[in-house]
Formats: sequence, C-alpha cells, structure tokens
Amino acid sequence: MAKTYDYLFKLLLIGDSGVGKTCVLFRFSEDAFNTTFISTIGIDFKIRTIELDGKKIKLQIWDTAGQERFRTITTAYYRGAMGIMLVYDVTNDKSFENIKNWIRNIEENASADVEKMLLGNKCELTDKRQVTKERGEQLAVEYGIKFMETSAKSSINVEEAFYTLARDIKAKMEKKLEASNPPKGGGHQLKASEPQRKPPSWLARCTIL
Amino acid sequence: MEDDLPTEYDVVVVGTGMTESIVAAAASRIGKKVLHLDSNEYYGGLWATFNFDGLQKWIEDLKTAKNNTRNINVDLEEGEKFLKASDQYSTVENIGETWYISNDADLPDVSWKDTQTESSGDSAAAESAEKTDQDKADKKENVKQWSIDRIKKEYRRFNIDLAPKLLFARGELVELLISSNIARYAEFRAVSRVATYMDGKLTQVPCSRADVFANKTVSVVEKRMLMQLLTSCMEQGADSPEFDGFRDKTFLEYLNTKNLTPIVQHYVVQAIAMATDKTSCRDGVNRTKHFLNSLGRYGNTPFLWPMYGSGELPQCFCRLCAVFGGVYCLKRQLDGVVVNEDKCKAIITGKQRLALEHLVVGQGHLPPEIVASEGENQISRGIFVTDRSIMQGEKESLTLLYYPPEEQGQEPVTLIELGPSTNACPQGLFMVHMTCKRTKNAKEDLAYVVNKFLRAEPLYSTNAVRNLSDSHTQTVSPDKRHLQIDQQEKEESPLEYPLPQVLWSLYLNLPASDIKLSNSAPSNIHLCSGPDLELDFDFAVNQAKSIFESMYPDEDFLPRAPDPEEIVLEGDETPGPKFEGGEPAEGEEKQDVEKAEKEE
Repeated sequence: MAKTYDYLFKLLLIGDSGVGKTCVLFRFSEDAFNTTFISTIGIDFKIRTIELDGKKIKLQIWDTAGQERFRTITTAYYRGAMGIMLVYDVTNDKSFENIKNWIRNIEENASADVEKMLLGNKCELTDKRQVTKERGEQLAVEYGIKFMETSAKSSINVEEAFYTLARDIKAKMEKKLEASNPPKGGGHQLKASEPQRKPPSWLARCTIL
Repeated sequence: MEDDLPTEYDVVVVGTGMTESIVAAAASRIGKKVLHLDSNEYYGGLWATFNFDGLQKWIEDLKTAKNNTRNINVDLEEGEKFLKASDQYSTVENIGETWYISNDADLPDVSWKDTQTESSGDSAAAESAEKTDQDKADKKENVKQWSIDRIKKEYRRFNIDLAPKLLFARGELVELLISSNIARYAEFRAVSRVATYMDGKLTQVPCSRADVFANKTVSVVEKRMLMQLLTSCMEQGADSPEFDGFRDKTFLEYLNTKNLTPIVQHYVVQAIAMATDKTSCRDGVNRTKHFLNSLGRYGNTPFLWPMYGSGELPQCFCRLCAVFGGVYCLKRQLDGVVVNEDKCKAIITGKQRLALEHLVVGQGHLPPEIVASEGENQISRGIFVTDRSIMQGEKESLTLLYYPPEEQGQEPVTLIELGPSTNACPQGLFMVHMTCKRTKNAKEDLAYVVNKFLRAEPLYSTNAVRNLSDSHTQTVSPDKRHLQIDQQEKEESPLEYPLPQVLWSLYLNLPASDIKLSNSAPSNIHLCSGPDLELDFDFAVNQAKSIFESMYPDEDFLPRAPDPEEIVLEGDETPGPKFEGGEPAEGEEKQDVEKAEKEE
C-alpha cells in the first residue's frame, strides 16, 4: 500500500474533564462543533493530514476517553506520543491549576522529549473568564512551552495550535535525521491482514528435504 | 470529587487484572454501564508492570501491611447482609530484593560494554523521541559502571513485570486483540529465539524454515525425522489413531517409540512441547500443535512479547471500556458487598452504596464467606537485571528458555530474557524473568536455574577500588565466568561466553489462579483469577469469555470496535476520509518495517 504521507505524528489531548478537549479535536478534525458531548464516549482518536513545507503529515490525535475524570489515564495512553496538547478552560480556575498536575503526570509517563503546548480553551466566553491570558502565558514560560488561547466553538486558533505543535515536532525530528540518528520504530502492531504463511505448507516443504 | 461516583450500574468490576479488564471491555462494548475500580493507584494488580521506582513503592507498600480492620457502617435493608472484602487471597510472600553492585557511583573506569546491544543499534525508546541527546549520554555512560544510584536514576527506563507472559502468535489473545480492534492500543516484538539447554550449553532451537536449513547441529536425516513427527502432531491432532495406544501414557513414552535421535527428541520435548517426563501424550501433542500453529505468523518464533511489558495489555482493554463509556476510578477500595439471599445487590466503596446487576471481582477483593477453597498452587518468581544476555548472539535478542527439572522435587522453570528494545531496561542491560510453580519459596525453587545461567554474587568486595578482572579471579572459581576473559582463561573454561552478572534481583511468591467460589456464593458475583502458571494469556481470555457468556449469553463478545474514520456522528455533514477496506488507518509505517524484516 502506497504511503499517503511523509510523517505520522501521534498527539495526545490532556486536561481536566469538561475543558473542551473533544470539541477542540472535532473543530480541528471535522471543522465541526457539537455541544452535545457530555463526556467523551466512543471517541478514540481522530486523524487529519496536513501539509507543512511540502511534507504530508498525518496527525493521529488521541482523546482521553473520559479516563481523566478520576485521574486514571493509563500509562499505555502515553506510549509513543510525540506531542501533547495540555488544555484548560479559561472560565475554570481549577482546570488551570491542575495543569501542573497533568505536567507531572506527563513527566512520569510520556517520553522525555515529547513536545508540549498549553491551550486555554473557551476564550470566547469573555464574561465568565477566570484565568487571564497573562497567567496562561506565564505558566507556559515557566515550563518552556508554547501557549495559545483557543475557542473550539468560535473556531479561534485551533488550526494554528495544531500546526504549531506539528511544526515543532517536525523540526525536532528533522534535526535528529540530520544528526544521522534516525528515529527507530519500537514494536509492531498486530494486523488481521498479516501475511499468512501457513505452518502446514511450511512443514510440507520441509519434509521433502 | 472522589466520592462523586454515579450510583447505578449494569456491571461493577473490581480489580484491573487481565480477566477483569477483558470482561469490563466486553460489557462496555455492548452498551452496558460499567464501573471499573481498583484499590491501587496503578492498573493491573498482580499483572502490573512497574518502572524501577514504582516497583520500589510497591515493595514498600507490601511491607507496611494494610490494616483492614476499620469499621464500616452500612445501612442495610431487610434481608440484606454485608460481607466485608478481604485482600487475603492476593498475598505476596517471601519478597527478597538484593543488590549485587555498589552504591558508589565512582567505580573503577573499566569498560564492559555489551556488544550485543551496541551492534543492534535498536534503542530503548519506541518513539522517535528521547533519542539524540540521551543516546549520546548513554554511550558516554556505558563506559562507566552500573551503580545502584545510576539504576535508580534511570528508573523510568525500566519496565518490570510481576507476571511476564508471552502471546502465541495464533493464541486466544492475539486473535481477540485483532478481532476486537484493541490491537491498535499495543505494540509487540517477536520473541527472536527459543533456546534450549543441551550437552552443557544453550543452543537456539530452529523454528523458522531458514533456521532449520541453517542449523548445523541437526543432520538432514534428523531434520526429516523432526518434520515427520511435527507434521503428524499438526495434521492429525491428539485424537488421531496415531496416538491410540498412548491415551494414558506420557508424551515421552510416545516419542520413545518413534526412534528419534536424542537431539530431535530433546527439541520436541523441551523446546516445542515444553513438556516434562510427566506430561501426558495428549497434552504433549496439543502443546506441540499449539506451538506449530503459531509459527510463521510474526517473526522467527511462535511468540510475541508486549512492548513495555505484560501490564500494558489489561490497560488496552480498560481503554476500550472507557471509550465506550466505562467509568474508571483507581485508588478506590471495595469495602464489601451487600447480598440479599442469592443475589449481590450492591457494593460499598468509600461512603457510597453502588447498585449493580453483576459484580466481577478479582481474587484479591473477595469476601471470605463466599470462598470455597483458597487453592493450592502458588507461583515462584525471580527477576534479574543483568549485564549481558544468557546466550551470545549477533544482535539483541528476546529469548525464551524452558528449563526442565534436574532432580526430583524441582519444578520446570520458564525463563524470558528481555533486552532494551522492549523497553524493559536501559541500553547495556538485560532483564531476566524466571517463573515456576512454588514448592518451597521463590529463591530456593529457582536456585538451580539461577546458578546455571547467572552469576548472582556481589560484584564488588568491600575493597571497591580493586580492578574488575582482579576481583573476579579472586572471588570466582576458574570454571565460572569472567566479565573480561583473556585468551588463556578462555581455553580453560568449558564455556567461552561469560555468565551474565546479576546487578539486582527480586524474588517473590504470588498466589496462582486456582481459587474457587463456594456454591452458595451469589450467582451474579463472578470471580477473576490472578496470573496463572502458563506461559500465555489463554487462561485469562477464556475465563473472561465464560464470565461474559454467563452474564450476557445472547451478546457478542468484543465485536470489532470501529475505526475512528468509520464513526459518523449525527448531523455531521462532512464525514472524514473513507475507510479503506480492512486496513486500519494507523501504523502503515510499522507494517513497512515488518515487511522489511520478513524479507531479510
């Protein structure tokens, strides 16, 4: 099968329940907004292929599947992630405070040099805002990561955020390729369409030795 | 927030072990409302995989035995009884942790780089990340010795299994992972060699066609002999007339009638059937068949190993459960169950009473009142961090060795050796897992195998400044091995390749999975066993299937979960790209890698 992309990046969305992770994901992958999600049900990950500097980049973006609610995200979720969007809700101070805990969680479980970015979502709700843009910026500086305020509902900065994260991952990756230290695959995924070298025929061939 | 769980469920699952997690996923998948709890802050219970730090915490927690005597006030309705949960059926015993290296990071500057891991070039991390800088650091550091401090510092690079298990390439779990589409949450490596101990040394059992041809130990006649035998096991199965006379005999007795040469017989018994002289003919044939069936699907051997350890697999099922709406809560203990006559009505956890239709519960949380027998089998485990592979090789290997008892009273030991590419340990180290049935305690049970294949003595005497090879010639008898062998020693030694030095070891005894519920136990309580003694996960998968069938006899067990592209949401005007028949959307790159490997 011909590859339809140059790079595949696995990205994660992380943050408290209700900050709009799934809405951000849908805005980016489907350019749709749906307020009927109460929690994340049945959404595993979404895919969108973007183009950067003539390279096709397939973004596979994973959602937490509600496991963030009681802080029970599996360690398996973090495996192989190259970029993480940390999302809080600008109308919910607690969700902003919790970003520190999520970063600790990432440090414990994700790859050491995973690219991170901080998003303050629901920035269209100016009346209800509890977290100023400055506080968001300051926290991002503290952790040395990029920051944007987004609105999945009003479609503000969602595209830009994912493009920024993807560009940073790509730059990091190409730097490594140049250093003649190409990234190596880990394990393999199991496929139903695995070549079926049937043992009986293998045995049959060997019996005529 | 912790106390804020919804109060009514179709299924409550307590414990996140393998069986529990599969049942949770299956129930959630068909739309049942599932709550999945675990008293620990990690997934997997006795199936868990820890990094080095996590393992230390786990050991610490076991020492400070939990006081389970607190009083629980439960408001009961008429006819209801409260049964308190107990953790007595998941007791871990005889934990012994030993360091064989010094705490002093400033050790003599002697290089003992492991050429095996160096040449493979395969790095520990699965992701492309974590590379450049870390690799450089590794290379520099490799020249340095491993110290306790260094291992502790690199704790995240270890993934240590309590219950290491392999998957048969056509076993129950692989088929289930593929058919349910849960395979997309996990990655695997093929076990690259099946080893056997023969004529005083370890040799690789030829599994693939190429291996058989390349093998010089076995003559052409023997190859034909082997193939004929395997073909009859494979094609005819245990019910064939071929085995009529051996219904109540052992596999060995059957093989003895086939005039096999010792080498061929050894391969069949010890490596393929993994049998002892007590294994029945029927079991031996079935095991041989199972082995052969799984050949040729992935890699060189019939076995797969989950990247980052066996503890990832229960989590994959938990993820699916969550994706379909299952509620997850860790660090949440089951205090007990509310029973009315022959039905479990609810569980009590925290201050909450949660109503349920079915309770699926791991053996570590059962109320003693409903347990008939505790089971007799226990597991002896040994975990070793070593400095090289047990068996020399061109590149890093993932090795399986079945070692049958040498004397009366010993149990066969399964040995799995993992290298850095599985993420079990950092570059330059290996992780050896030994498992057998308990007779005395883990350390004594495994001693005969440890002594054979590892050097489990302190690497440094109190005089730590002494140079490495010196310390060896002084502390080790000449027939044992040396980390650096000079030519003369090589000739004297019966084995050219040095025994791996153990840097750290852990022994422990775990309960095995033969606990039984009493007949009077409520029929909607379903028991999930802990890890069993078998090499693979088939026991857990089959147990999960039968629990699911007893709960929902008319429903499908884990039908294929749709790929994200296939989900079209209501009112969604712009569906995503079309699903391309049969080919999951992700991981093409990996498949390319796989193809490339096959072509080699």
